Amino acid sequence: MESNIWLIAAAWMALAFLASLISIRVGVSVALIEILIGIAAGNFLHLHSTQWIDFLATFGSGLLTFLAGAEIEPDALRRHVKPALIIGAASFLLPFLLAFGFAFWVGGWDLHAAQIAGIALSTTSVAVVYATMVETGLNRTEIGKLILAACFVTDFGTVLALGIIFANFNAWLLLFVAVSAVVLWYLPRLTRLLIARVGHRVSEPEVKFVFLVLFLLGGLAKVAQSEAVLPAYLVGLVIAGVFVRDRILMDRMRAIAFTMLTPFYFIKAGLYVSLPAVASGALMIAALLVVKMVAKVLGVWPLTRVFRFDRREGMYTTLLMATGLTFGTISALFGLTNHLISQAQYTVLVTTVIGSAVVPTLIAQRFFEPRAPARADAGMAVPAD
Amino acid sequence: MYRRILVGLDGSEGSRRALDCALDLAELTGAALHALSVEEHLPAFAGTVGEVQDAQRFANQYFRGIHEEAAALAARRGRALTHEIVPGHVAQTLMRVAREGGFDLIILGHAGHSALAHLFLGSTADRVVEHAQCAVLIVR
Repeated sequence: MESNIWLIAAAWMALAFLASLISIRVGVSVALIEILIGIAAGNFLHLHSTQWIDFLATFGSGLLTFLAGAEIEPDALRRHVKPALIIGAASFLLPFLLAFGFAFWVGGWDLHAAQIAGIALSTTSVAVVYATMVETGLNRTEIGKLILAACFVTDFGTVLALGIIFANFNAWLLLFVAVSAVVLWYLPRLTRLLIARVGHRVSEPEVKFVFLVLFLLGGLAKVAQSEAVLPAYLVGLVIAGVFVRDRILMDRMRAIAFTMLTPFYFIKAGLYVSLPAVASGALMIAALLVVKMVAKVLGVWPLTRVFRFDRREGMYTTLLMATGLTFGTISALFGLTNHLISQAQYTVLVTTVIGSAVVPTLIAQRFFEPRAPARADAGMAVPAD
Repeated sequence: MYRRILVGLDGSEGSRRALDCALDLAELTGAALHALSVEEHLPAFAGTVGEVQDAQRFANQYFRGIHEEAAALAARRGRALTHEIVPGHVAQTLMRVAREGGFDLIILGHAGHSALAHLFLGSTADRVVEHAQCAVLIVR
């Protein structure tokens, strides 16, 4: 079994398949179910990763980050640039500093481990925010678009921190920055040109081109001791405008990611969560969750008042921005892979991140859902005949 | 008598019976008829925006088919039927749409089981009966 890659692949794909079925059945995100299945497989079946699974998982996390960047509405960000930048930056900075400080001074974690804690808990789950707003109809209102734009700014803070804090400040970093700047500048035009000339063929040259750019910039980031998710997110951001107009390309990228890559990433993210460490770290998990939520309230809520959200909308926005999942696990896994945190610390962080996907959402929906959502915007009303 | 009737559609046998009953009542009273489907089951605690958008697209496609079928049935019986798909919690959305649209009767099928999810189950009917501000008819 150890050397039979077909059987190893079959075992992992069986878990991914099971996660899809459970997700559809219970109406919970497949990402979360894959993490939970990974936790069960790691603790009870002693499943472990291999070099090629590590590659697929790393590629999956990069592609997830790229898609997260590409999902932004550039026009909405431009329209709300000032409040989005201020709210998004506060939503990143305060949780980063407080979670870092708590892990370092109260938890006794070393500097790098505390920095990883700060980054992992500074995130906002754009997907959780988006899903909640779709259900309330807020996603089509201007306030909803502002909240989403602010979430993208927060996530940008997270990938920037992950890409810079642990980088080596040397000639390689300079080269990485210079090449990235040139590539990002020309990328939208090149991608548009490529789609116009040879797009949507069976051989998918435009998808291969995007992968080429991701691999190249990811490779340069690695040489500079930076993190591949930084260029992936930036690549997504700069070609978001192309993706908005070309849904087929977006759908193909998603199909590739969700079928073959992200299951390996999420299951692997769950694999290293140790259940005994969850039990022994329960207090720290609860404390970090509270720290993250309080930090988001302190950072975001006053600004929602400055930008004239009403009280209920303000608290709802704040709680949604306290959610986290994908980027939190990416940050924690980066820390574990690079030996910046121990498995026990990884367990604490991933469990806290999972808690942050669930707890703030439930509180927001139960107690602070804005009244009278924009019904006219939310549905479709057409005559039958 | 009733002027505006709201009927819940989820594709179940119960909701088809509710639509039949709504058409009968509309013929009798001359009431305007509006069908509502609620997209309840977007993935909770989503990991990616794409996951949510795909689920939404799937639900829209599913409900559009149901609405086309309902519209054809209404047209055969010479009635106009407007319809909409709204994301949200089923009972809350039904009551909100009824209130905002000035509907004076909500018609629901009893204990329907759709393929998509358990959209109009008994508990939904119970909640609507208990809290709606207009008359509610549950069709068995």
